[in-house]
Amino acid sequence: MELFKSLRVKPWLSAELEQQTELNSSTPDIEKSASTALKFLLAVITVVFFLFTITFLQRTQSFDFQALSGEVWLPFSNTNMLWQNSAYLLLASMSIILAEKFAQQQNLYAIIISLTATTLFTLLFISGQVQVWQQLNQSGFYITTNPANSYYFLLTGIHALHIVGGVLVLMRCTWHFGISFSYQQLASRLNLCARYWHYLLFIWLFLFFLLTSDASTFKTIALICGF
Amino acid sequence: MTKIEYVAIADQVDQSNHPSTFLTKYIWSQDHKVIAIQYSITAIAVGLVALVLSGIMRLQLGFPNEFSFIDPASYLQFVTMHGMIMVIYLLTALLLGGFGNYLIPLMIGARDMVFPYLNMLSYWTYLLSVFVLLASFFVSGGPTGAGWTLYPPQAILSGTPGAHAGILLMLTSLAIFIVAFTMGGLNYVTTILQARTRGMTLMRMPLTVWGIFVATILGLLAFPALLVSAIMMIFDKVVGTSFFMPAILSLGETLDHSGGSPILFQHLFWFFGHPEVYIVALPAFGMVSDVIAIHARKNIFGYRMMVWAIIAIGGLSFVVWAHHMYVSGMNPYFGFFFATTTLIIAIPTALKVYNWLLTLWRGNIHLTMPMLFAIGFIFTFTHGGLTGLMLGNVVIDLPLSDTFFVVAHFHMVMGVSPIMVLFAAIYHWFPLLTGRFLDNKLGKFHFWGTFLGTYAIYLPMHYLGFLGVPRRYYAMGDTDFIPESAQTLNAGITVSAIIVGLVQFIFIANVIWSTFKGKKSGRNPWQATSLEWQTADFPPGHGNWGEQLPQVYRWAYDFSVPKVKDDFIPQNLPSEEVEYLTSERNNDRGKK
Repeated sequence: MELFKSLRVKPWLSAELEQQTELNSSTPDIEKSASTALKFLLAVITVVFFLFTITFLQRTQSFDFQALSGEVWLPFSNTNMLWQNSAYLLLASMSIILAEKFAQQQNLYAIIISLTATTLFTLLFISGQVQVWQQLNQSGFYITTNPANSYYFLLTGIHALHIVGGVLVLMRCTWHFGISFSYQQLASRLNLCARYWHYLLFIWLFLFFLLTSDASTFKTIALICGF
Repeated sequence: MTKIEYVAIADQVDQSNHPSTFLTKYIWSQDHKVIAIQYSITAIAVGLVALVLSGIMRLQLGFPNEFSFIDPASYLQFVTMHGMIMVIYLLTALLLGGFGNYLIPLMIGARDMVFPYLNMLSYWTYLLSVFVLLASFFVSGGPTGAGWTLYPPQAILSGTPGAHAGILLMLTSLAIFIVAFTMGGLNYVTTILQARTRGMTLMRMPLTVWGIFVATILGLLAFPALLVSAIMMIFDKVVGTSFFMPAILSLGETLDHSGGSPILFQHLFWFFGHPEVYIVALPAFGMVSDVIAIHARKNIFGYRMMVWAIIAIGGLSFVVWAHHMYVSGMNPYFGFFFATTTLIIAIPTALKVYNWLLTLWRGNIHLTMPMLFAIGFIFTFTHGGLTGLMLGNVVIDLPLSDTFFVVAHFHMVMGVSPIMVLFAAIYHWFPLLTGRFLDNKLGKFHFWGTFLGTYAIYLPMHYLGFLGVPRRYYAMGDTDFIPESAQTLNAGITVSAIIVGLVQFIFIANVIWSTFKGKKSGRNPWQATSLEWQTADFPPGHGNWGEQLPQVYRWAYDFSVPKVKDDFIPQNLPSEEVEYLTSERNNDRGKK
């Protein structure tokens, strides 16, 4: 609403001239800027996955689409492995919150442990995803044999790339902390990382639901979306 | 959480931060002005490649079969590379990477972008994308000849020029470009939202900044569609998936693809492609608004409406994409919807044109070089826009879609118009970069050569379109319904195109000569109000503002204010320091 209000201002009127001069008087700080940039980055990532999802939903209605669950012989009739991977990502997401909290408390050992846990759980998630790919390949569900398989490999791959990007940024934060030893700066950066991790967890849960749905679910979604 | 004590970049005046070596000053520079120049030089250099390619295409069209080095395959490759380079690697990069980088911090009163390192990374990633693209000229099979829209299935099928390495390099280059754009774009929006100086409210920003701001948001939201389609097409080509590839027989061979949808690619491409028009147009709209106001010594007519129109155009640009796809066989209701939204987007666009004209109306018009180009833009944009309205209607588009009429339309609206603004902007802001004017005589020659020359190219091209001359064709062959005179017209267009091309080299010579020998401009030569002309040093040095950031007291369009001594009041001049002609302050101004 503030935005709409500011767009209604008549900047040429002298009555409003004096009023506005005092506005926007806070100096920009990097923390706020990074938070704004992160919001836009998450918006970009959302658009990427939204567009992939739209194309996927459209493809679910083609004659050659075979959902990956719904029958016992289909790979995701049993999703234990995916639940396990989800748990890893959830634990990574939780441990990064702890790391941020410990950074605020300036507790170095706890920071090291929680950041190690974050990295470990994240890597476990990625390795778990790779194992799922291997299992799919071993069961004959290759990337080209069915559009559902193609989308599974593509979407989980793109998601994993985003996770890897997050790990690299986290490593950079740790590196900077190693140089500056600024707990406040670390806490601020970990806060941004945590938001990124939570968001990727949310995206993963969405993909989990989407990619492991059965044919009847797709039919209902397509009906609602008008495909 | 405790608040971090951080010295904001806007308040850093520590001299030790200034780059001192040649490498950090000019190559690995994090200064937004140097990055802007790097972006601009790269974009113009690659744009010259595209200009030469268009000249070669025109030689073939004007004088078919006269030049042995142009065969049907290379013709298509030149068309493709010309289109893609001009739209993405020249216009987008120059308007946002070049002008966006240079002007945003200066116009909003910041010392630099909020993430200077990311900004530097953005340029080098962009340069990498240009190299990857140009590498396709040197690989086996050459660059892709799929047309700039890269439609599958033909883009990746054998038989299309560059269907192997060429298309992969193109798609990879686009993906790299999008990464570069995202890094730059995040910087631009964050800087505008977070690093404005004291008193610089959103509604006090010059329209240039508004145009760049909204265009950047469009880019951030639209480029992912191109990224998604590029990734999926790379998978189709390399891995053998069938995202876009239907069951198909190619060169007598049944391929392994099945069930993919080429139309899906078209939707994705144009979901990016139409906002892309406005990614280019909106910064141009903003810059031309400022140039017109400054050189007509008059406040911009309807500032609020101009801002709202920029936002409205930005929003609407996401719901018109399928007007590029009327011939793809869509549901008539679908076509009706997109024709309607296309006509609706004309309203804020027309509003802007009227406001430019009303700014000129009874203004103190100085026919400087920037103003000449700005007026030229109003002509070319209106012509291109009006033919756009025609093509926005399904019944008119269907017969004209594959003819030269469309080529003439989009070149007028998206090629010539933004380039007129780019020239206006270069002539206008050149003194800010160098402290010197561009040469006026050479400039006038450049303007009239470009303005009249482009009309000589594109007006007859509309007529060729009405005759039914198809686009994308290497040669007409025996086409009975096209009269002989069409070929004569084509030859004339080619001569004009070559003249316009050569005139651009005069401009480049002018830039090089004037950089070193041009007439000195002095501070604020156009007597502009906006902040970029009010820096401590002129041209602005690293950090832009010396010891103290400017404080903004007014909007950017206080020109010819009644009873004020000068005909402009800089944004950073307090009310108490404004000199009046009479002893009394003009209290009536606020009651307008």
